[in-house]
Amino acid sequence: MAAMFSQNPLMNGPNYSFNDSPRTSAPEGAREHRFDPYTDNGGSTLAIAGADFTIMAGDTRLTSGYSINSRHHPKLFKIGGTTADQKDATIVLSVVGFAADGEALKERLDAICKMYRYRHGKPMSVKACAQRLSTILYQKRFFPYYAYAILGGLDEEGKGAVYSYDPVGSYEREQCRAGGAAASLIMPFLDNQVNFKNQYIPNSGEGHALQERERRPLSRNEVEVLVKDAFDGAVERHIEVGDGLQMMVITKDGIEEILMPLKRD
Amino acid sequence: MTSIGTGYDLANSIFSPDGRNFQVEYAVKAVENGGTAIGIRCKDGVVLAVEKIITSKLLKPGANKRIATVDRHLGVAYSGMVPDGRHFVDRARDEARAWRDTFKTPISTADLASRMGGYMQAYTLYQSVRPFGITAIVGGFDSREEAPVDGEVGSGPSCGAGGKVSSKTHGGPFLYMIEPSGLYWGYYGAATGKGRQAAKAELEKLDLSGAEGGITLEQAVKEAARIIYVAHDDSKDKEFELEMTWISGADGPTKGLHQEVPKALREEAERLAKKALESDDEDEGTEEKKGEEKMEE
Amino acid sequence: MDHRPQAWGRPRDDIYGAYDASYLQTSGPKTATQSPVVTGTSVIAIKFKDGIVMAADNLASYGSLARFTDVKRLRTFLDTSVVGFGGDVSDMQFLDRHLKELAIDEAYEHNDDQQQQDDDDSHHKSTPGTALNAANLHKYLQKLMYRRRNDFDPLWNQILVGGLDAARKPFLASVDLRGTAFTSPSLATGFGAALAQPIMRRYAATDEDAARLTREQAVDVVKECMKVLFYRDARSLDRYSIAVVTKDGVELSEDEQLERQSWAFAERIRGYGTQTV
Repeated sequence: MAAMFSQNPLMNGPNYSFNDSPRTSAPEGAREHRFDPYTDNGGSTLAIAGADFTIMAGDTRLTSGYSINSRHHPKLFKIGGTTADQKDATIVLSVVGFAADGEALKERLDAICKMYRYRHGKPMSVKACAQRLSTILYQKRFFPYYAYAILGGLDEEGKGAVYSYDPVGSYEREQCRAGGAAASLIMPFLDNQVNFKNQYIPNSGEGHALQERERRPLSRNEVEVLVKDAFDGAVERHIEVGDGLQMMVITKDGIEEILMPLKRD
Repeated sequence: MTSIGTGYDLANSIFSPDGRNFQVEYAVKAVENGGTAIGIRCKDGVVLAVEKIITSKLLKPGANKRIATVDRHLGVAYSGMVPDGRHFVDRARDEARAWRDTFKTPISTADLASRMGGYMQAYTLYQSVRPFGITAIVGGFDSREEAPVDGEVGSGPSCGAGGKVSSKTHGGPFLYMIEPSGLYWGYYGAATGKGRQAAKAELEKLDLSGAEGGITLEQAVKEAARIIYVAHDDSKDKEFELEMTWISGADGPTKGLHQEVPKALREEAERLAKKALESDDEDEGTEEKKGEEKMEE
Repeated sequence: MDHRPQAWGRPRDDIYGAYDASYLQTSGPKTATQSPVVTGTSVIAIKFKDGIVMAADNLASYGSLARFTDVKRLRTFLDTSVVGFGGDVSDMQFLDRHLKELAIDEAYEHNDDQQQQDDDDSHHKSTPGTALNAANLHKYLQKLMYRRRNDFDPLWNQILVGGLDAARKPFLASVDLRGTAFTSPSLATGFGAALAQPIMRRYAATDEDAARLTREQAVDVVKECMKVLFYRDARSLDRYSIAVVTKDGVELSEDEQLERQSWAFAERIRGYGTQTV
């Protein structure tokens, strides 16, 4: 009789699974995932600062894997204007990497610059904007915006200013910078052509005595040609670059936008 | 109102000895001063119309609409206290949405009337609230087609018994009127507000029950405009705007949606209404003359 | 009999094995959609002179099983736009319900829209109405998808949105489960990106080319692409939906049949299956 009420399976026949409690436990709010939230949408960007201008450029191809998603997807954005068409903007942001993050980053920076304008009654300086962009990126340190950003404008003295970033907010003001898929192809070309690296005055000496070619500020026309050449080269050697070249020239008179065709192969 | 001042009119939830709830009756009084609102249910749809008294020249013409959309196929017109009406509409929208959330299909006009009737009735039960100072007219067109469930996948068996009776028709136009007490009936034609007596008299002249074939939606639009103009006749000194919406079936002009009557049609209806009114006046005028003549004799 | 009420109706361990309750966890990691389950294949669309054409077949697959054969993957929005869904079908249903709710919210403001349209017709056609157009809808969906990916709870779809933009020009754009959005004169999701897109680009490489296409041409191109997809995409069907959006609204046909199929090419295929020669 005692066996009838026993909980012991040996005495009472079969047993049943009563235990519904989880076998593993993880901290509250922890999430398991296999979903990869990032992709690389290819493309390349480029920025060169001149004496009284800055030229920003990017191709307009958007890829995913070997597919071309779009042949016209701009990577350059005017930031902090007061209207939808941004006609009174003074700063340009270029983003390359994961397009959705790039766009989200651009919209956040733009909103912040607009708020600054409404509060202070003047547009944000590139210097301030550059620091703010770094903060935005760093705040998402543990789930970064997968985007290589370059910010361009004119500094307080009217000189061209280019700031380049890594995805988590490290930044630096530079003379020129290439970003994205073909950065490694374009950057050495710029070192040579903008900063005259590895250019020496012929017959100026032997070995270490060789004199470097003296640096001089490039004119706007020279830079425009340089940009076009840089991209033509990148298109030839990188499959993720092509279709169109978008260029923005920032001067004291405003921002001029130029669109040129690139090879679509 | 024999019991006024006896204390039985001070709160909801207290009956007077002769079985009346005075708060509800006062709410009805509030409605009786509101701009006239009517609804017509006809063969192929429903028309809602309100007489919107212009209380100030500073108000933008055509703004501040009185007839509201509750769901795609449902509209509400009301007469009485506008803020109460706005709240009524908010609640009706919540009900329609909640219905969709649970059943994944649009709420029927009858079900909405039932839910809202129950809601208004609840406001006659408690000390802490007062009844709604509105009478609402709910119009809708329940889909005659087999309504797809929101987000459904597939369309069910294409042969064999699917539980569908081919000869049976579903849906159609429906019209309900809900009073402050929570009472609601389905109507062929409904009227409320200041001009309701005249409007009801006019509505009764129409063949809405379909005994003689019924009237079409477009006729109903014109009749609705005329009736609002007739009902307005008594308070001629005040300016008003005519606001009209309609709902047809999927094969009709609104494709099953509750929409404003297009401007052109509304203006045409108003023109005819004014014309009809003038000819009526002329008739009355001649009658009066005849009377005078008789007097002299 | 067993006198423990807790045991009544429960499977016996000695017959069924101990019950694995691990999936019933209430604490522990929150699991979101990890991968799509029932899926739709390609959606394709192309712009033409005064609108867009979009098509998708009526199949919902469960892995390699053709599970549902009458699933409508093109959904209309406010009779101004059409949304085509590739990817997970349950997420499509969620989005469809969500968009319907949005459409009803829009209908609350019907009076203003009507007014606007009346004004537009009589004066200037370019005045943007207050109703949501396809461009607005696309932006909304992009923000929704991007947010869900940020929450690690993605809606597993690739979506095409077609209609007219604020300037009443043809609008066509895409958004995927990561919130990546882009536009192009022609677009295709899934297999369509490899098989249909090259064909469509022959007719509409640029917006200027697309602006020269007539409605009939665009429909023919799309139908041809649907045929190619049926020939080569194993998860596709010969029954499909096709939608045309112009300023006059959306014309949606949900039960089209592929016409003039020719399987002659199949004879020449060697190297698969059982043939030995």
